[in-house]
Amino acid sequence: MAPLLEVRGVSLHFGGLAALHEVSFGLEPGERLALIGPNGAGKTTLFNVLTGQLKPSAGHVFFKGQDITHAKVFERTQLGMARSFQITSLFPYQTVKVNALIALQGTRKGRYHLFSGLMGDRKMQADARALLEANDLWELREEVVSSLAYGQQRRLEIALSLASDPELLLLDEPSCGLTTVESAEITAKLKELGKKITVLMIAHDMDLVFGVAERVMLLHYGEIMCEGTCDEIRTNQMVRDIYMGTRKAYDPMAQGEE
Amino acid sequence: MSRTPEELPGDEAYTGDVLAGAPAPRVPRTFLAIGLPVLVIAVIVLVLPLFIPSFVASLVTKMMIYGLFGVSLNIIWGYAGIPSFGHAAFFGVGAYGAGILILKAGISNFWLNLLLALIATAVIAAILGVPAFRVFGVGAGAVNPIYFLLATIAFGEILSRVAIAVRPVTGGSTGLSGIPEPQLGFGFRVTSGRYYYLVFVLVAICLYIVWRIVNSHYGYALRGIHDNEKRMQALGYNTWLYKYTSWIIAAVFGGMAGVLFAYYGNTLMPNNMAMVTSDIAFLLVIMGSATTFFGPLVASVIYVGIEYLASLYLKDRWPLIFGAMFVITIMVIPQGLGVFIQKLWKKVIGGSAA
Repeated sequence: MAPLLEVRGVSLHFGGLAALHEVSFGLEPGERLALIGPNGAGKTTLFNVLTGQLKPSAGHVFFKGQDITHAKVFERTQLGMARSFQITSLFPYQTVKVNALIALQGTRKGRYHLFSGLMGDRKMQADARALLEANDLWELREEVVSSLAYGQQRRLEIALSLASDPELLLLDEPSCGLTTVESAEITAKLKELGKKITVLMIAHDMDLVFGVAERVMLLHYGEIMCEGTCDEIRTNQMVRDIYMGTRKAYDPMAQGEE
Repeated sequence: MSRTPEELPGDEAYTGDVLAGAPAPRVPRTFLAIGLPVLVIAVIVLVLPLFIPSFVASLVTKMMIYGLFGVSLNIIWGYAGIPSFGHAAFFGVGAYGAGILILKAGISNFWLNLLLALIATAVIAAILGVPAFRVFGVGAGAVNPIYFLLATIAFGEILSRVAIAVRPVTGGSTGLSGIPEPQLGFGFRVTSGRYYYLVFVLVAICLYIVWRIVNSHYGYALRGIHDNEKRMQALGYNTWLYKYTSWIIAAVFGGMAGVLFAYYGNTLMPNNMAMVTSDIAFLLVIMGSATTFFGPLVASVIYVGIEYLASLYLKDRWPLIFGAMFVITIMVIPQGLGVFIQKLWKKVIGGSAA
């Protein structure tokens, strides 16, 4: 089967700094891939290249066989991509329900309707209810988002990413800043996602990584150092050195001597 | 109109009805919250001229025109989060468009005049919007919104300079004067007394359309852009298109206010396009609060009232008074009058409904 997402030789330089260096990988439909790596490894930068916030200095990104290297952010979403943000990115002055409604209509034709009221749209209201109920947020529907607890905001963050019914879901540290219990809830929720959705996620929480992902990829100084199944990664010496942390791994010169 | 629960998070009964398809409750909360006050105010404004002297009626006419002007700026500012310091450019294009069409092109029919002036406004807005959003930019991806603000100031100033320069068409710095009463056709005469009702009807229609727009699917997308444009893009919205079109929509309603103003004052000055007029819309939005729909209308009543009193007693001190209105608003009611009234009204109906 053709890969859903294919990244070919993507590099991105910020001045002299190579944030990404010749990154290549593919993602099969239905796969769950986790991206791990120390802080500053380029994980979020890679995400921003995949979603279109940043344009790569070299290389190509293909989604469903189309070259989307230069496609705009919203065009990629229309094609079936969705992302969540590491730093919670919601509509703070609107209620939870309005957040869901805005997210839902993003990929629907109705988003340009100039005169038909959003609140009177039964289909949209019912879908918003389904979305919020699936994410345990329906009870909070009339709360203004800025007044929600952080854990609830994180749940809404993921709910908004799922609203467009995406084929490819990019999750940027879905459990960032959460307590162990909340993080476990998110892990359970992500495990429930149907196989129709392909997931690429950045995570630091190893329970989340090993709980959800089938394949893990380690990024370090903008390069893919190794990839493999969860078991392979767990026992891999390089992962231990770089990610679990030995002093040597943080020094690129020392690393070359390995 | 009463079907759309604007900014009423507590309206659970309504949501439930939509989902269950149940019949509406006897007195829907939305009607109590919005429909009733709108109806009462509309009736009051409609019968007002019977009880007040004609010069006061003329002030109320001005309140309605400026109110529409403020509401039109609020579409982009309050809802989409795009501040503009040059909204008078569109007010002026509407006003001058109408004035030039009557006095220079000899088109006397009001409706044709209105249509052409609004088309002119839309075209100018569409042209100015390209550099405004593409070059200067505001919101996600913009270098700094201050450039956008400066550009919008420049638009108004440039147009007012053009109005001064193109003397044969615009009358130069003395402006256009002697705009006749509007010809509605069918031999119907719009005397200065009747003009009140014409303005009332047209402003009411415009407000209804704006209300529908800001509560539509499109309108909620504008709110989303106000709150978090980056997220909107990630959700699949072409935010540039929304910002650009809302800019044009706001301009058209600003132009509408301008056309009504042209017939109202009979005289147009280049200042009607310049910063001094943009400031009025700006003040109306700040004073009325950008987060409510009706805020600029309330502010317009106060503004025109103060303007009139100042013209009687402190004519030379107008800039001082105008500035003081800004300062006092920001110091005393930073959220704006609209929010204050909304809270008060919720308490009132909350008490009676319980």
